Amino acid sequence: MTAPLSKSIVIWVMVGLVLLTLSAPTVVVLGASFTSGNIIVFPPNGFSLQWYGKIASDVGLRGAFMRSLTVAAICTVIAIPVGTLAGIALAKYAIKFERSLQVYLLLPFTIPLIGSGIGLMLLFGQMGILGQIWPIGIACCVINLPFMIWAVTASAANLDPDLELAAANCGAPPIATFFHVTLPAVMPGVISGSLLMFILALNEFLVSLLLTDARTVTLPVQIYNSIRSIITPDLAAISVVFIACAAIIIALLDRLVGLDIFLKSK
Amino acid sequence: MTKTKSTYALTRRRFLGSAAALGGLAATGWTGQAFAQEPEKPAEIIVRAWGGSWVASLQAGVSDPFTAATGIAVRHDLTEDNEIQPKVWAAVAQGRIPPIHINWDTTTNATKSALRGVTEDLSDLANLANTTELAKPVGLEGYPIVNTYGYVYVLAYRPSAFPEGAPTSLQVLLDPKFKGRIALYNDGIGFHFPAQVAGGGKLEDIPDNMDAAWSFIEKVKEQQPLLGEDPDFTNWFQNGEIDLAVTISTNAREAMKNGIELAWTVPEEGSKFETDGLWIPKGLPENELYWAKQYINFAISKDAQQVWLDGLGLPGVVPGLTPPEGLAGDPSYPTEPADFERLIRVPTAIQVEHESEWFGKFKAIMQG
Amino acid sequence: MRSYRTAYPFRWRVMDTLEMLARVLWPNRFSGAVPYLMLAPAVLLVLLLVIGMAQIADSSLHVLDRSTFLPSADFTLANYQTALRQPLYWMIIWRSLLGAAVVTLLSLIFAFPYAYLMVRTPSALLRKFLLIALFLPFFIGQVVRAYGWLIILGNQGVMNEMLGWVGIEPQRLLFNYPAVLFGLVQYMLPFAVLMLAPAITAIPEEIESAASSLGANWWRTFTHVILPMSKPGLVGAGLVVLTLSLTDFAMPAVLGGGSQDFIANAIYDQFFRTSDQGMGAALTLFLVGIGSLVVGVIFTVFGAGTLAMGRGKK
Repeated sequence: MTAPLSKSIVIWVMVGLVLLTLSAPTVVVLGASFTSGNIIVFPPNGFSLQWYGKIASDVGLRGAFMRSLTVAAICTVIAIPVGTLAGIALAKYAIKFERSLQVYLLLPFTIPLIGSGIGLMLLFGQMGILGQIWPIGIACCVINLPFMIWAVTASAANLDPDLELAAANCGAPPIATFFHVTLPAVMPGVISGSLLMFILALNEFLVSLLLTDARTVTLPVQIYNSIRSIITPDLAAISVVFIACAAIIIALLDRLVGLDIFLKSK
Repeated sequence: MTKTKSTYALTRRRFLGSAAALGGLAATGWTGQAFAQEPEKPAEIIVRAWGGSWVASLQAGVSDPFTAATGIAVRHDLTEDNEIQPKVWAAVAQGRIPPIHINWDTTTNATKSALRGVTEDLSDLANLANTTELAKPVGLEGYPIVNTYGYVYVLAYRPSAFPEGAPTSLQVLLDPKFKGRIALYNDGIGFHFPAQVAGGGKLEDIPDNMDAAWSFIEKVKEQQPLLGEDPDFTNWFQNGEIDLAVTISTNAREAMKNGIELAWTVPEEGSKFETDGLWIPKGLPENELYWAKQYINFAISKDAQQVWLDGLGLPGVVPGLTPPEGLAGDPSYPTEPADFERLIRVPTAIQVEHESEWFGKFKAIMQG
Repeated sequence: MRSYRTAYPFRWRVMDTLEMLARVLWPNRFSGAVPYLMLAPAVLLVLLLVIGMAQIADSSLHVLDRSTFLPSADFTLANYQTALRQPLYWMIIWRSLLGAAVVTLLSLIFAFPYAYLMVRTPSALLRKFLLIALFLPFFIGQVVRAYGWLIILGNQGVMNEMLGWVGIEPQRLLFNYPAVLFGLVQYMLPFAVLMLAPAITAIPEEIESAASSLGANWWRTFTHVILPMSKPGLVGAGLVVLTLSLTDFAMPAVLGGGSQDFIANAIYDQFFRTSDQGMGAALTLFLVGIGSLVVGVIFTVFGAGTLAMGRGKK
């Protein structure tokens, strides 16, 4: 089937605009990181790798980066089972007070991040767990949980109730049905959701700002705090390293599971 | 390779600096206690500081020599002063050990913490004896805070936009030529009092009658000013967005050092003079409190102040400091009583009480 | 022994044990509770936030005493009264709501063709490219990305330079309402695309071909078939974009030039600048109330089950 020309034009113009806005700041940051000057400018002032040298020799940054990875991992590991179960439940069953429940589960988005940060800081402080890494992971999980739940419900369109019934009729017990029929059907949602959870936790700064201290500071918080009197190109260089890491992760994921997985219908 | 070399050179210079500082410490009498009953040393203490040239100066002037002399590492927490405050307050309220040992803070913010009762008393620091009256917080009992230097909210400008020379009056902000090309702090800090004068009011009427300030600020609003924080100002000057800004001289100076075309002046209406200080939150273990106090004690020694404030380009609180290059006689570097005549000082107590009201009023005008 | 193992592999044994355990712990007659059990962990996680909000609610009921900077001992609604009486806050709330609505609309309009192309393209390479282009900007972070825009759209930026080539004088493109909205849209686009893609995936391609073979042109097919069928994705994406932009802080702060505050910026000022936690708390709850109300209305209008297509099929 070939699409009519007018349709292709409309789609491509709009996609082109989106691609431009998505990539423009990335290109600027990428370019600025190679400047030989002291401030971020575009096009860059000469070429140098000095800012990469500077961040490579910074032990504090490496520690912050490792902590961010830990936070993101904890967040994702919790989000996968919690979000998947909730998403399937919302998609599959008729639930009493469903509307109120949806509003409740959306609270992480309706509460401004500063409010969430202050609230969680008070709560974790009272529990005496402030100053550790794992509560930050949990916090990042809570504030982004709707993404995980919705990624799953969105792909629940592939969930065929008849197929589950068929499995049950053939004598498959409930847990087997869940693992062999239900879960594979929502797998695309689980994967895109967990990818999003990981990335967002890796970049979270506003809530983490209130939950970290100088010994547990994460990378985005460190970057946010460094933008004080002047924006230096090392921040751009960090972003570029971040993007490079992301590219590697995405490439790995593609090799392992295939990126198409969450776009293909079963 | 050159990188490593310069780092080495720096370390060496720092080492020499700290050796000198060590002498300074000995002179003040506390390394003499080394063999007496000295509380156990923590592995590190955490000092909240502002990033960029601020923390670099503190490190060179205070933190590194302190580490060299005591063996205690200093970690800098770069959380904003505004943003550390609720964290410290919550920690004290909940009986937790606070996240920092020392807060480098504006005197206004620190006064709020002192009024709330979350600060340790610092009256027993030996080096306080050698400081000027600037070190003492006004209107508070004892020394819940030790002021460490003063600074001025200058009028920074782009020289190429002023071929006839530096602007002399704040009225320049109303010049149609600069519509959309002026910048103020988000909450108007540093601008309320000069605006009172520029609007034809009297400083004595602060805080009871500030109509003059508000009417002037309303006129400035017509000029569509940009509002931001220090990094924004640097960015805007650099990208040619603005020609004028009311900002702290240190930031203007750092921007200049980075090659941005900039100069500053104190207008005839005067500029706001403020101080920053150091304080220690309550709730630290005894030994850590002791060493945190020693850090502050060292920070107000002449040696430490000389290096630290050279970096910041600001006047300190011990007599006899050598002004940094090019700043002797500069209006942003007041040392003599005559220098203070053009500067506006409003008691911290009044500021603390009315600040949120002023911020709110400023915001209401600017967001309208 | 060996043959037994092949006939009854370890995995099966584990599964059987699990099934048995499930039967004992959860007999069939309880099956009505299964969905609630599945929802319980999520509800508990969000409960952490709710407990935090309870703390916030408590501080919102005390006014700040400016002689001690401690909250007052007695409970009062004074903070709410002060907030409601200030025209400034109403204006900021209106600005945030209007902004969130415009941003949602624009994000959906631009995200849809992107998601559509990404799902429908026969080229695996193009699909991967579109997907990667979507994910990479996340890694620069919101603040650094906003500063990137300052460089592009600034007075001496790339954009104005290009305008200069066609003879247009440099324009102030930044520090106004549209700049904030633009920043929000470009930040929200990837979220919207990711929420829309699965919904579009679920529309069988045959339906589109059927519609066009029946004589509908592509625009009619789009408005009468594709759009209605992707409603779950549109509602989901819309809600995400709406709530996130309503509560956003960084874009108004960086691209607004200080005079385009959203509610989150006003809350920030109270908590961090004027140390008035009670007032900040009151504004926070006010915003949560408005946000939840909007979400509730949307669910009422489009139906709470919109997101649950699997069930709808029955």
